[in-house]
Amino acid sequence: MRRIKSIPAKGLKTPAGTTARTFILTFFSVLFSTAMAVRRFPKPEFETNYIQPSTQIPVPRAELLAYLDVFVLLVSLSIVTWLILKKRSRLWVFAMSVFSLAYFGFYREGCVCSIGAIQNVSLALFDNTFVLPLSVLLFFILPLVFTAFFGRTFCAAVCPFGAMQDFFAFKPQALSSRLNTVLGILPYLYLGLAVLFAATGTDFIICRYDPFVGIFRFNASFGMFLFSGILLLSGVFIARPYCRFLCPYGVLLNWTSRFSRRHLTITPKECIQCRLCEHSCPYDAIEVPVTSKSPESRPVRVRKMMILTVFVPFIVLVFGYAGSRMQDTLAGVDSRVKLAKEVMALSGKQDAGYGMQDAGYKMQDDSYEIKAYKASGKTESQVYSEASAVVKKFYIGGWLFGGFIGLAIALMIGGRIMPVYRTDYVTSKGRCFSCLRCVDYCPVKS
Amino acid sequence: MKQKIFIITGLVLLVGVIAIMLADLFSSKKADKANPYDYKMGELRKTDITCNGYIEQLTIKPALEEIHAVACGSGDRIYVAGKNGLEIYQVNGKPDGNFRFEGVASCMALDKKGRIFIGMQDHVEVFDQLGKPCNKWKSISTESLLTCIALTDSYVYLADAGKKIVYRYDMNGRLINRIGEKDPQKNVPGFIIPSPYFDLGIGKKGELWVANTGRHSLEQFSSDGALNSAWGEASMSADGFCGCCNPSHFAFLSDGSFVTSEKGIERVKIYSPQGKYVCMVAPPSAFVEGTKGLDLAVDSKDRIIVLDPEKKQVRIFVKK
Repeated sequence: MRRIKSIPAKGLKTPAGTTARTFILTFFSVLFSTAMAVRRFPKPEFETNYIQPSTQIPVPRAELLAYLDVFVLLVSLSIVTWLILKKRSRLWVFAMSVFSLAYFGFYREGCVCSIGAIQNVSLALFDNTFVLPLSVLLFFILPLVFTAFFGRTFCAAVCPFGAMQDFFAFKPQALSSRLNTVLGILPYLYLGLAVLFAATGTDFIICRYDPFVGIFRFNASFGMFLFSGILLLSGVFIARPYCRFLCPYGVLLNWTSRFSRRHLTITPKECIQCRLCEHSCPYDAIEVPVTSKSPESRPVRVRKMMILTVFVPFIVLVFGYAGSRMQDTLAGVDSRVKLAKEVMALSGKQDAGYGMQDAGYKMQDDSYEIKAYKASGKTESQVYSEASAVVKKFYIGGWLFGGFIGLAIALMIGGRIMPVYRTDYVTSKGRCFSCLRCVDYCPVKS
Repeated sequence: MKQKIFIITGLVLLVGVIAIMLADLFSSKKADKANPYDYKMGELRKTDITCNGYIEQLTIKPALEEIHAVACGSGDRIYVAGKNGLEIYQVNGKPDGNFRFEGVASCMALDKKGRIFIGMQDHVEVFDQLGKPCNKWKSISTESLLTCIALTDSYVYLADAGKKIVYRYDMNGRLINRIGEKDPQKNVPGFIIPSPYFDLGIGKKGELWVANTGRHSLEQFSSDGALNSAWGEASMSADGFCGCCNPSHFAFLSDGSFVTSEKGIERVKIYSPQGKYVCMVAPPSAFVEGTKGLDLAVDSKDRIIVLDPEKKQVRIFVKK
């Protein structure tokens, strides 16, 4: 077959139709390039009575669509931020959360999400063979950038997880400040574990325990459906339980939001201390005025600061050490370590060298993992050596993880013992989701 | 009081969620769950018996250690070749001769003179009816795996699953050309042969047909290698070819219809000359699960001869 090449005659301009055709062809070739690249071999036929098992990762989107998602995220963040800071309309924010739930949740099937992107970024930082797509990086960064300037507007109405839980907050109850502080440690633990497991190439646990992705994809197993159901049910009484007490991305947003200069304020003008907003926040994110007739003296404050200066590093070290002692438990999650233990149990060894000791594993010869190991042609020592390298990573990781948790706890304690004085009702910059519920209660309008 | 109950309920549920996550993450105990990717073939093996157009008429049990190839000769005599030998049976299944040779026969064909062409791994050996060697062709390649021979009056076609190519030789073993090499200019997609089953046959009008198993299709070539037509589609249902790579074997009825056999879901079926599914000859239930290499031959009365290596039988099916 001869190829015919179209060359415009000399001196003649390319017709507009040709340009348009070229553009359309380029557009569609880019749009479908990923999908076409996959189909290079006739795939096995699975249409007859075969039920496809649900997977953590949905079918990859074409590159152009992935960037379209980033564009939608950027536009959504901009609109929501404008609605919160300028329009101050709860109704419109609610409408945007419905859109986000539909688009980022059900249409996009909850992936890639900003929360899960933590793991991609972590893995990319620690494994130079892992390629981090730009679209995933943008999903991770854009909400943080907006939060750094305008507060957690992403949580208000762009995150589908938040939107989903917001609809279930029928009977939200106020939790005590102490309970909020204690439960507030959980997201730090989750973030620490998620980063640790991602960085070591063990697992993406945020995706594994994503409570809503099964609902978004209409393919949740019964167990996962139950898991989501329990979480949503708890959300009837404790508003947004995932966002407040689990979300690892929430930790990062909490930090960055504290720097936001243009954060939502309850009142657009001066607070008249009417106290109408005091119990309006279902997330306990309104700071009540703290006044004292006799503020702490400077020497007392200095002494407290000195105690904290010693206390914080001490707690970090203690927790870091505790984390390093947990290396075996943490490494036990890794499939390579699990396999090594199975192989060791199968060969009846108590100590296989490489630091691999019998952990009481009882494994049957016909497990899928053992079958795959036998088919791979790997030797026992190779398996132990790989596992040993992973366990060593978890020793360092355990120190960092423990130290991180220690730091979070120490700073929380520090925050509680160092008094903060304020005269007005204000939103807690770190914890406020900018949902605008409190604004509706405020009688002062702009 | 009511508020406390709500808070406690919410907290208990939240703690429950966290407990489930931690238990699942850190538990070394393996859930006794089934493989989610398990491809349950049980239902697919069930075939509508009203589609069965044939019954098994006769079973022959060769004495060879392994059987790999079947062919039909003059007088509808049945030739069975395998490891270190060949056996001949009359039309009624009675033994009619045998001879020994060294090696494993992977495929076989007979010419009009009654000479027996046997493919052995990487070369062809030719014998007369009494087993006297007539010719031994030189090895094609160490990577070759001959899986089928088909003869016309002048040419010998060989299917080489190892090199994924079809060769055309003259009757004396001189290579004339190669057929089926990937050639976008000639619109030849190339053979995709994931498993060592690669069959070919000569149709009613003397045309060459080759089973491109990875594409689940039968492709018709001219003798110089031009691709003329193709049919077939992947499907677990009766009207298509199942698994990664099928049909593993095929033969022709006198009207030009195709008889095909598959592995994975073991079944023998008939397709019209246009490639339309006609009926089932032998359903999966007729075979031991896991049977592979159901070589086929058809005699002058359109009896379908199926080689069953698992049962070590030659099974003859006739129309009901």
